[in-house]
Amino acid sequence: MFKISTFLPWTSLPYLILFFFSLPIIIVLSSLLGDWSENWIHLYNYVLFDYISSSIYLVLGVSILVLVIGTVTAWLICSYEFHGKRFFEWALILPLSIPPYILAYTFTGLFDSYGTANNLIRVIFNLDTSFILFPNVRNTLGAIVVFAFTLYPYVYLVSRSAFLNQSQSMLEAGRMLGLNKVQIFYKLGLPIIRPGLIGGLMLVIMETLSDFGAVDHFAVQTFTTGIFRTWYGMYDLSTAMQLASLLLLFVGLIFIFERISRKKAKYTSNTSTFRPPKINQLSGIKSCAASLICFIPIFIGFLLPVSELTIWAFQYNLDFFNHKFITTMTNTISLAIIAAILCAFFALLINFSIRLKKNTLSVTSNSLLSMGYAVPGLILAVGIVQLFAWLDKSIFYDTRIILTGSLAGLVFAYVIKSYALANSTFESGFERISRSIDDSAKTLNSGGLNLLRRVHFPLLKTSFLTSILLVTSEVVKELPATLILRPFNFDTLAVSTYIYAAEERMIQASAPAIAIVITGLIPIIILTKMIRSSRPTDR
Amino acid sequence: MKPILEINNLKHSYENDKILFENLNLEIDSGEIISILGPSGCGKTTLLRIIAGLETQTSGVIKINNQIISDANHFLPPEKRKIGLVVQERALFPHLSVLNNVTFGIHNQKNKQEIASDYLELFRVQSLRNKYPHEISGGEQQRVALARAMAPEPNILLLDEPFNALDGSLKNELHNETKKIFKERQATVLIVSHDTKEANYFADRSVLFMNNNIIITKNNSN
Repeated sequence: MFKISTFLPWTSLPYLILFFFSLPIIIVLSSLLGDWSENWIHLYNYVLFDYISSSIYLVLGVSILVLVIGTVTAWLICSYEFHGKRFFEWALILPLSIPPYILAYTFTGLFDSYGTANNLIRVIFNLDTSFILFPNVRNTLGAIVVFAFTLYPYVYLVSRSAFLNQSQSMLEAGRMLGLNKVQIFYKLGLPIIRPGLIGGLMLVIMETLSDFGAVDHFAVQTFTTGIFRTWYGMYDLSTAMQLASLLLLFVGLIFIFERISRKKAKYTSNTSTFRPPKINQLSGIKSCAASLICFIPIFIGFLLPVSELTIWAFQYNLDFFNHKFITTMTNTISLAIIAAILCAFFALLINFSIRLKKNTLSVTSNSLLSMGYAVPGLILAVGIVQLFAWLDKSIFYDTRIILTGSLAGLVFAYVIKSYALANSTFESGFERISRSIDDSAKTLNSGGLNLLRRVHFPLLKTSFLTSILLVTSEVVKELPATLILRPFNFDTLAVSTYIYAAEERMIQASAPAIAIVITGLIPIIILTKMIRSSRPTDR
Repeated sequence: MKPILEINNLKHSYENDKILFENLNLEIDSGEIISILGPSGCGKTTLLRIIAGLETQTSGVIKINNQIISDANHFLPPEKRKIGLVVQERALFPHLSVLNNVTFGIHNQKNKQEIASDYLELFRVQSLRNKYPHEISGGEQQRVALARAMAPEPNILLLDEPFNALDGSLKNELHNETKKIFKERQATVLIVSHDTKEANYFADRSVLFMNNNIIITKNNSN
């Protein structure tokens, strides 16, 4: 039973924010209780199976590929010394700065019949213009490659961290019990990191299912393209919401599975007896092969798209920084910063309130708030549109439309989706502050807000800044929610890239795309710093 | 009787040519328990790791059952030596249950569950068979580690300060039980310890490791 004090202003903050954050999701899910229209029957009879089957095909293909790329590169980095290892160790996360839709656009620019790659082959070998070497990438297989090479860093990061934390004693015990070096990898190395691996894989699956830009560009029929078409093609919002609910339930199941596997991940090696894994030196052809294996994903996932964007940007000539680009850039950055400050503000206050009075309910509420990252942007947008339309109707009685189509909806969606990033930063920041500091401050008459203002906040400045940077770079990439919720004639970098690419104006799309990639590099720099300090041997 | 393990003129030096030990000779008979004593850093653990095949010596020959397993021209990988190893940190596989940890090293045998159960029974951890390593105590983990190492019935069992992390009474209890089991099963054991009392209690013969080689071999029964 909850005590009355649980609901005092400070401590009730997580529940209050959770209530507002969950409204759009509740609205979407409530559509399942409503009427099922004729459009739904049409979808059910003709396209729903396609949505489900191609989504499953996409998820399976991406999962297999990211598991292979992520674990093999991580195993090489953690177990061997080879040419360029220190560079590959952090460079392997560079593709995280490229959103899948940008890789999709550059892939079509590169590999289309008359794209850069085919043209280059024709010029080099003096071949006829009808000669086409590279296959068509605008299909499900192309989408699988695009997602795998932009999302594998999630698996790489968790695998690397898990491999580094495996105790050498345990691997040696495996050798003594009859396993050779290859068997050690798949019979011991992989199973031990399995819980973490599943967590990374779940993130990849959620990102794949949430994407709209890449699948739309490759004309792959998935749930997200289906929701978009039902809404904007059939003008049937309630059926779009019902489709969104099904996707949400599926993502919810994956999220729960991910959380369960993360809990199981707790039983790794006992740290008190930890012995870092032994690094074996590779030489000659083996060293070159290891370098090549690590180079391929960086080449496909980062160097190739960046090169193509740079070529396009040069073709754009002096028009690069035109008025439209500057306006779009200003719109994006200001929106992202507003959302980032709000996220940081909420995360700071909620974590502070939990620190003041920790109980299961507040911790659970905070965990539920962090679930926002798993909700596809398109679904959030659908829920927010409905919520704001209802609020406008209830407050202004149809006389004025204030909230619908305003920037508030966009900011609301960004905050829900990015809260988890800010929360994890502040959570670890608070963990580093000793409880005895709080006790000392309290005895010196600095409790409540004074404790936050005079003690915690100055100690959490780095967390605050990190949180702002992480959320900003995440918001800049967000496409589906922005596409639906943006006010009329209000473009962001992601929307601008999408519109240009949809019109096959790839050269013009390069400027906003490059800006997105540069912003996306911010968290990479932060992660790189963390990677450099995370080797157990370096501690 | 032919010795089960023979070490001849073993030498090991670091990359900077600093000699850890040299001219090291040792023979162990089947069913014998030998303890290796010596100060920290004298190379006791390195010797065990070389015997296990986890490290290679600079020179010298190691034979098991009169077969060369390691010299200048031969190197049998650890997984083929049929040697069991138990270390202080126990190194149980955290993703496997107690039972699966013990069956892990039993290959090509249909009745591996029964063999594992037999060893779990022997070390009195049968009731923990479905638990995971993080769910059991340090002493229980050590029993499981010993059962896991013995279950494949290795030629020799190498123990590297296996009881070091345990407290006094638990250590004594495990000493008694383990010695009884080793003798019952006629296990050949090489145990590294820095505790003279433990070494004397456990071993038929103690070997003092000092000044780069073995200088004293003492028969404990005398």
